[in-house]
Amino acid sequence: MTCSPKRLAVASRGPNSEHPTVNAGAATGLRLAGVQTLALTRRSVITEWRQLGNVIPGIVFPLLLAAVYTHQFTRAILLPGFPVVDSFLDFVLPASLVQSVSFGATEAGTELARDIENGFFDRLRASPCTRLPLLLGRLCGAVVVAAAKGILIIAIFLMFGTEIAGGPAAAVVLVAAAVLLVIAIGGLGQVLAILTGSQEAVNATFPLVFTSIFMSSAFFPTNLMSGWFREVAEANPVTWIIDPVRRLILEGWSWSDVGQALAVPLVISAVTVTMAVVALNRKLSSS
Amino acid sequence: MVASAICGRGMRRIMARPILIMPVLLMPLIFVLSFTGAFVSLTRVEGYGTDNVFNWMAVYAAMQGAVFAGVGGASTTAEDIENGFFDRLLLTPGSRVPILVGTMAYSALRSTIPTTGVLLVSALGGLRLPGGPLALVTVYVATAGMASAFCLLGLAVVYRFRTMRSMILIQVCGFSSMFLSTGQVPIHFMNGWLHAVARVNPVTNVLRFARQGFLGDLTWTMTWPGLVALGAMVAVAGALAVHQLRRLAA
Repeated sequence: MTCSPKRLAVASRGPNSEHPTVNAGAATGLRLAGVQTLALTRRSVITEWRQLGNVIPGIVFPLLLAAVYTHQFTRAILLPGFPVVDSFLDFVLPASLVQSVSFGATEAGTELARDIENGFFDRLRASPCTRLPLLLGRLCGAVVVAAAKGILIIAIFLMFGTEIAGGPAAAVVLVAAAVLLVIAIGGLGQVLAILTGSQEAVNATFPLVFTSIFMSSAFFPTNLMSGWFREVAEANPVTWIIDPVRRLILEGWSWSDVGQALAVPLVISAVTVTMAVVALNRKLSSS
Repeated sequence: MVASAICGRGMRRIMARPILIMPVLLMPLIFVLSFTGAFVSLTRVEGYGTDNVFNWMAVYAAMQGAVFAGVGGASTTAEDIENGFFDRLLLTPGSRVPILVGTMAYSALRSTIPTTGVLLVSALGGLRLPGGPLALVTVYVATAGMASAFCLLGLAVVYRFRTMRSMILIQVCGFSSMFLSTGQVPIHFMNGWLHAVARVNPVTNVLRFARQGFLGDLTWTMTWPGLVALGAMVAVAGALAVHQLRRLAA
């Protein structure tokens, strides 16, 4: 079942909307926003579920890459300066996870652009729907899908012998960091969607995301790089997320690593989501 | 005549809208920069084959670009099928094969753009040619062959499913066949199932053929297996494409 503006309007009035005089005063703005966000999140997840063909490459490709690299870098892990690992598989887990969630990260923006293109967004605006859920609904949908992908990727790595030194709590941090990264990228996609109203423009951010993963410490430690590439990789926020997460996996629990792994994507998310909210407010007030 | 007209149409399309070539050019450039930057220390591992990472990775990135170019060539046919132009082509009298040959030639020509881009960027990074100018010839032959093979494979799929979406199958196939080869490391660096797969993967022989002039002198023992692999890939993919085209036209 998909979410129509009419359903959203009904949701915004609450479950006992047949008695508006009783409930009208009790329904706070926050609760309304929550109900509407939930409805749009559900719609977003259902859309992804119906297009599993679009989700699967985002799981299969990183796993294939991890499998290939594990078998071709058996000598590389013996290089002086490479972190002490039993197998390259342990080293590459954070990279595979970030790569996997990044595949669908722009979906929050693409969906919004699609809604703008096909007029659904205008119908939502005409309904008694608060502004924030228009953005948060899609972002929450992307978060649910990213968390599911993260859990699946970690489970597959564990099946193939990866050990997480930081324990189950480190695995939770790993998923949380990946989810925050999805919010950051999704927020950026939404800014572009609002500014351009074009799915194509939002999709154009994918090579940027793809490149930023490759130009980071995702697949090789930065201390074994050289020249300008090393400087770019060390200045890349993806490295700032992957390095502490990797230490949680290889070395064990550390509060400072947890802080860095979560704070970096959280700050970027706050910036991009704020930019999306500002862009939405400008769009709505100008039209 | 028909083949050259179709090839010319594709090239004119690129001239008119240069933006179309950007993805085909950008991705291999990103690859060559990323792989040489991230994996530069692999050259310090004994037995890597070269002390210059560009000499190893440039050919691999160029071949990736060629695969994209081939898939892109088949995508133009998918677009033609979706917008009805292909039906008009089928109404013309004569053999259908030139339609296919023209698209393949367009892909092979198109592959020279990413190959040249990758070689230029690699030259700036320090690419050397121990095998002399002939090394460049082998790269262009290999990339044109790979683009042709993947274009024909893409056409077989497009003629069968008649949608642009079906091209994802060939993209996955192209990516996988490149990653499951000696693209990034020599075969003796690999172990387990990857070693076994890379040994029988025809792309490994094509890479050896294309890369030989960047690692040393050109030899016939490195050349003929690559040419045979290219010929076999083009022949098999071509047979599949012709079969599907005949079914489509029937």
